[in-house]
Amino acid sequence: MPIEFTLGLAAAIFSVGAAGVTFRRDPLVLFMCVEMMFNAANLALVGLSGYFGLLDGQTMVFLVLAVAAAEVAVGLAILIAIFRVRQDVDVDHVSELRG
Amino acid sequence: MGLTQALFFTFAALALASALSVVFTRHTVWAAYLFVAHLLCLAVLYACLSAPLVAVLQVMVYGGAVMVLFIFAIMILDASVLGRLDWRQEALQAGLSLALGLGLAGLLFYVLDRHAPALALANPVSASADLGRGNVAALGRMLYTQYLLPFEVISVLLVVAAVGILVMAKRKLED
Repeated sequence: MPIEFTLGLAAAIFSVGAAGVTFRRDPLVLFMCVEMMFNAANLALVGLSGYFGLLDGQTMVFLVLAVAAAEVAVGLAILIAIFRVRQDVDVDHVSELRG
Repeated sequence: MGLTQALFFTFAALALASALSVVFTRHTVWAAYLFVAHLLCLAVLYACLSAPLVAVLQVMVYGGAVMVLFIFAIMILDASVLGRLDWRQEALQAGLSLALGLGLAGLLFYVLDRHAPALALANPVSASADLGRGNVAALGRMLYTQYLLPFEVISVLLVVAAVGILVMAKRKLED
């Protein structure tokens, strides 16, 4: 596999995720887009790991997977806690912490 | 073009298409299922890039655990009742995020383009096929020697996350 193609695909998926975070107002889809950015970084790590014949990249992917799983679990728990209090999940309406 | 390469390019296109449709679909449940499709496409890509363990982990952690969490949250939140903005605000938001996405993509591709010659000169292993063999044992050894500290920190992080979620869920019951 040409490494430029793998890295280009990772860059494209990362940009789609970043644009999605700013475009959508549904917090669940925001989380999916953040996960997409995590996965793009993972793809670049795996591609470079194969390119250089080193396993370090795949080890880092393992660590990133664990962090991403913990992040999703905590994030969704916070989301549900907010929903219990407000009965509303629009990210534009949760603005009490605005300076 | 070998079978691996054909698989790689097919699933690369599918991954990008499903990523775009997650962003553009209006239905949260559809977004969730398209997101699963995206994650499974990435698992195929990892397998093609001779990272079988990462591919299996991707299916288990993302296709399994993270997905169940998302579906649970969708069931509880009923997020399909999100109101629409007025069209001027919506167009502004879409334009700004499109500009951000294109700008970021342009920046990343520019950096990639500039560093492509250096990457080609870096004297890579031409055949990464042997990376896949004995992958699990080598990865495990690396994780428990060179990357022991990050590994332990991550296990602490997971415990903290689990306890935090329990506390967050329990406080509501006491009130």
